[in-house]
Amino acid sequence: MLRRYELHNHTTHSDASITCRELLEVMREDQVQVVALTDHNTISGHRELRELLPAFPGLQAVFGMEYTTYYGHILCLNLTRYVPWDRIDRNCPEKLFAACRAAGALTGIAHPFSYGAPFARGCRFDMHVRDFRDVDFIEVFNNPEPLREVNIPALEWWEDLTLQGEHLAATGGMDLHGHRDMSMMFATYLEGDAAHDPGEDLARAVRGRRTWVSRGMALLWTPEGDGFRFRLEDLHKPGFRPASLYLLTIRSQAGQITRPLEGDTLYLPLSDLPPGPVRVLRLYRKNTDAENLICVCPPMT
Amino acid sequence: MRQLFHAEGILNRDFVGQITYTVCLEKPCRAMDIAMTFDRQHFSEEDITPEMEESVLLEIREKYGLSPDPCELRRMMLQDMKTEIHLLAMMNDTFIGCIHRQLTERHMHFENGLATEGCLPVDRFEGVLQVTVLVFNVIMDGTRYTLSVSGEEDQDAAPV
Repeated sequence: MLRRYELHNHTTHSDASITCRELLEVMREDQVQVVALTDHNTISGHRELRELLPAFPGLQAVFGMEYTTYYGHILCLNLTRYVPWDRIDRNCPEKLFAACRAAGALTGIAHPFSYGAPFARGCRFDMHVRDFRDVDFIEVFNNPEPLREVNIPALEWWEDLTLQGEHLAATGGMDLHGHRDMSMMFATYLEGDAAHDPGEDLARAVRGRRTWVSRGMALLWTPEGDGFRFRLEDLHKPGFRPASLYLLTIRSQAGQITRPLEGDTLYLPLSDLPPGPVRVLRLYRKNTDAENLICVCPPMT
Repeated sequence: MRQLFHAEGILNRDFVGQITYTVCLEKPCRAMDIAMTFDRQHFSEEDITPEMEESVLLEIREKYGLSPDPCELRRMMLQDMKTEIHLLAMMNDTFIGCIHRQLTERHMHFENGLATEGCLPVDRFEGVLQVTVLVFNVIMDGTRYTLSVSGEEDQDAAPV
């Protein structure tokens, strides 16, 4: 079962206009299953959110922080203690990623292509990562950001790194700072169970690169004969508008194919897939314009 | 509360980094207020010269491919460009708070098991307080800031 995680949210503990309680209300209203608290450079909201959570049955939480540095924002999830960042070296950010990882957190690069200086220093990721071993994910969709100028470059960066062999998951988030309509926005979906610890399910999915970044429809696949059977799964995200035609693109380092789904499934023999050890998949509706992108799937290995 | 520490400084344009003040508390404190102010957060119309406009336009065209018209560029410079300074506090090397809201005057207040949002409650301050002024962006030379630490000392306690 794919569960919806909203992985990037702020409260009045940093610079948002909504309190912890309001954040939970917003998430409950939109039928979110797991909410992450990721205030800028503080973990002070963790206790409050944890205490409020029992009043919101069915809603679970993971706790983190958005490291807001001079050279980029780093989302840390499952972060239980503050790890200092003030010695950040843009030419060696691996030290901070490793320190957060050592504290048990999942580390990710947030909105890497946002506009930064001279407007908002640090919003663009200007660090030079040479070694991605301590980076767990890239936020490929930060919903408030412009699609073509900011989010698509982030997605292409993640795809290129993935095809080059880096082991990174993709995530998407609202970067919520207030009340906002979340319909048709990208959220992160992963396999999990309400009976599990949501942080553990998240860690398992991110480390296994089993995340779907979707506006409301996912694509799953299973081996069948000498190929793969792909099928759509409706994620029942409020406000999602289904389409009559869906298209699948599969890209490897050797090439790319685009195929329409027949109804809600598609069979592809192995010989039709672009060759390579890893492939990246996108699901579109109607056509392959960026505006019609519906889902970024886990890499196919 | 009694003021335990006060500092002032002037920042130059384009400084990025942090300035840390370390306060060795003479006596334990039951409550604490850490306050920071700074000025010149935004440009005024008079601050913006044609050379600055040209420089910003070149920078955002090169970095982001943006080419706003003169009116939009001016709006961006007046509204979107800002001096951004945040405040971080550690007690005995443990995080106790960071204020990230875009305010030119901000306080971290700790008292009776409560703390300003962004901060963690601290029952008793004893030891070494580190306050860091995190300077993300300074858009004008001569930007002044002040920092002050006030505490309600535990009068019954012996000096540390």
